[in-house]
Amino acid sequence: MPATSPIACIALLLATTASATAQSGFDAFQRGDYAAAKQLLSTDHSPRGRAFLALTEAATGRCPEAEPALLADYEDQNLRLLTTLAMSRCRIAQQRWAEAAALLTKLEEEFPRNPDVLYENARLHLKAWNGAVERIFESAPASFRVNQLSAEIFEIQGRYSEAVAEYRKALAKSPATLNLHYRLGRALLMESHAPESLEAARREFEAELELNPYDAVAEYQIAQIFEVQGNPGAARQRLESAVSNDPNFPEALVALGRALVAEKDYTRAVEMLSKAAELAPQSESAVYNLMLAYRNAGQRDRALEIKKRLDELQASPDGEFSSFLERIGEAPQQ
Amino acid sequence: MRRALLALCLVATAAAQSVNVAGDVGLTDVIPNGGDHSKTWIIETTGSGAAWIDYDNDDDLDAFLVSGEGGTNRLYRNDRGKFAEVTAQAGLGSEGWGQGVCAGDFDNDGYTDLFVTYWGQNRLYRNLDGERFAEIAESSGLAQIRVRYNTGCAFLDYDNDGDLDLFVANYLKFDFETTPRPGDNPYCYYRNLPTVCGPRGLPFDRNLLYRNDGDKGFADVSESSGIAAPARNYALGVITGDWNDDGFTDLYVACDRTPSILYINQRDGTFEDEALLRGAALDASGEALSGMGVAAGDYNGDGTADLFRTNFSDERSTLYRNRGDGDFDESTVAAGLGKNTRYVGWGTGFLDIDNDGRTDLLLVNGHVFPEVERLNTDIHYRQRAILYHNQGDGEFADLGDQAGPGLSEPHAARGLALGDYDNDGQVDALVNSQNEAPALLKFAAPSENHWISLHLEGVRSNRSAIGAKVWVTSAGRTQYASVRGGGSYLSQSDLRLHFGLEKADTVDVEVHWPRGLRQQFGQLDAGGTHRLVESPR
Repeated sequence: MPATSPIACIALLLATTASATAQSGFDAFQRGDYAAAKQLLSTDHSPRGRAFLALTEAATGRCPEAEPALLADYEDQNLRLLTTLAMSRCRIAQQRWAEAAALLTKLEEEFPRNPDVLYENARLHLKAWNGAVERIFESAPASFRVNQLSAEIFEIQGRYSEAVAEYRKALAKSPATLNLHYRLGRALLMESHAPESLEAARREFEAELELNPYDAVAEYQIAQIFEVQGNPGAARQRLESAVSNDPNFPEALVALGRALVAEKDYTRAVEMLSKAAELAPQSESAVYNLMLAYRNAGQRDRALEIKKRLDELQASPDGEFSSFLERIGEAPQQ
Repeated sequence: MRRALLALCLVATAAAQSVNVAGDVGLTDVIPNGGDHSKTWIIETTGSGAAWIDYDNDDDLDAFLVSGEGGTNRLYRNDRGKFAEVTAQAGLGSEGWGQGVCAGDFDNDGYTDLFVTYWGQNRLYRNLDGERFAEIAESSGLAQIRVRYNTGCAFLDYDNDGDLDLFVANYLKFDFETTPRPGDNPYCYYRNLPTVCGPRGLPFDRNLLYRNDGDKGFADVSESSGIAAPARNYALGVITGDWNDDGFTDLYVACDRTPSILYINQRDGTFEDEALLRGAALDASGEALSGMGVAAGDYNGDGTADLFRTNFSDERSTLYRNRGDGDFDESTVAAGLGKNTRYVGWGTGFLDIDNDGRTDLLLVNGHVFPEVERLNTDIHYRQRAILYHNQGDGEFADLGDQAGPGLSEPHAARGLALGDYDNDGQVDALVNSQNEAPALLKFAAPSENHWISLHLEGVRSNRSAIGAKVWVTSAGRTQYASVRGGGSYLSQSDLRLHFGLEKADTVDVEVHWPRGLRQQFGQLDAGGTHRLVESPR
């Protein structure tokens, strides 16, 4: 289903036959003269007339009046898009998040690449997020969860020092909560490029493991740090633990596969990397390292076969460049 | 504990003290290159290169620096260690968005010529008897019919016919009219800051190969040679080398935000990009990094050339170890090069800073965006250089501040050329930074190790001997190097080869000339430059 904007929908709908009065009403709606549109469309009792009257009501904030017509099941796809979008906006305005979400989920199934649908969905989640944040700040300001949430917000904003401070506050209040040490470790890695930060982060990942010895991701992070610190033996050990804790952890399988390639244990490397590529078929990292494992094992033909998969994965994401080039008026180079 | 102390002493001993002597020797002109506090266009971020060439054949190196818009490229003649600006009298005055430079004697007349790349028309400067240059791009078939964003370049003899051909990397398609401005779209931000747009989101362009047809000039063979494919890379730094040791020169091209290219010479006038399968396109985790500059050298003494590529901040610079057949294993972390991730790396080169017979590694840095200062992080626009000392066990040690004040100076560095400008046996570094006077880093080594410099001259092969391979044996140890076109970031280092010899007084040398001749030179004395001429047989 190609993306269709509301303006295009309206233009399509208006192109169909209508009475002179109704047509004037549609025109008034299109130019944003809602008072005139309401007056003119109130005499049109066709499904289309009723729908546009409801769209007019919704556009002027009169959702209750518009609701019956907006919720009607229109056969026309464009009309359905417009009315359901309007209804979801009403539900968002009413803070009836679940109903808005249900409407938009259904719309996204039918119009998966429509920018208005995607925008409205993003807006819904933003509003819901803001509402939830406001509630937690109001009702439990001293909770460690407020510090945790603040830290996560700072992380998103790239303010890693502030994130680190908030994670530390959260940990002081609730030292046994899972995942806090892990998030603090990650924030420490993001905060500074200094080699010393590696050790500080490793301590946090180790602390996370004390709380949850089966945390494969923390083991993986420690392995990465040991690798950078020039301690491949310790890194390898941690990767084995990570894979043991979670045999379906693609990143850990890839890292372990790479370590095995370095040790020339190609049989086991191929086993690990094949599994990673199977678990995460879109992972260029898994497929690339599988290709190199076969190459280094002397199986160049097999490596070339895997390379074909990698070539496919490496093709630019569909539309990414071409759509941009269209916008700046230049065709992609052949 | 004792061992640890010993290791520390060794590193300290190796810590050649770097000093920036540019101001003392006359390299004082500021080279303009885009905005200094903010930039609007990507063209402001990529310039420019530097070169060491001996244009007047007086056996010392002259300095050439490429300028961005608002100034001219500059040639400085070396007069016994002091530099005199001779741009105008040499006929090299030229304005525009200059990018890269490469050098080679394309007409085999015994004088080194220059090629300078531009956003716009490139310039080929023919050296006229070592006194001045004539710009002959158009009459040589190198004029371009549209504006191109030419970046790295390298002379090479890809068809082994005895004259130098020319490779020119192209970054992307850019113009001031249609390119979006900072903040215009998601490709125009860095860490939530509106910055110049690109390279992602801007159209690719194709690389170029020009075949030298002697008196007929250069012929554009980009399409027929396969160089024009795949045209899905943002190409910057380029270096030549025979990675698979088949006697034909290949090319490595560092690419920004896209896989880097390894053009393997198919020995029939064509090239294929084999970087992916050969393991030199991506990093070990399969990511295409932001390749800028590139160096080639035998860091582990196994007789093959390895590759080193500089990348963006939050990425590691990448070391690719040659497995001996032109296949590579990424060995960055194993070689101790994985810790510095706050720098944006540009110019780079292998050099033996303490003449201990093991090649060390220098890289110069500087962020792309001046706006990065607003972020209050540990990433800055002007950044220090890094010197990695080769420990001899496959690992490097970052000398950090031990390497002296010259390397600690923060610059928005781009081009880097290596060469011993005062012939004192110590390789020096010429750095072209944005909107600054160049830096000339001298390394005062504490050691008394010996050295030798080899100036190769082709007779049947191209006169610059680009593509020649050299093995130097002294005291039971053999070192390998090759004469290379291009290299570093859009720069050209001295075409002479420098070898540290530790305490050896003499060396035996074997040269494999590009056209196939193998020649031995016995018992050459350490402590000077030797001219090795290809036998005409």
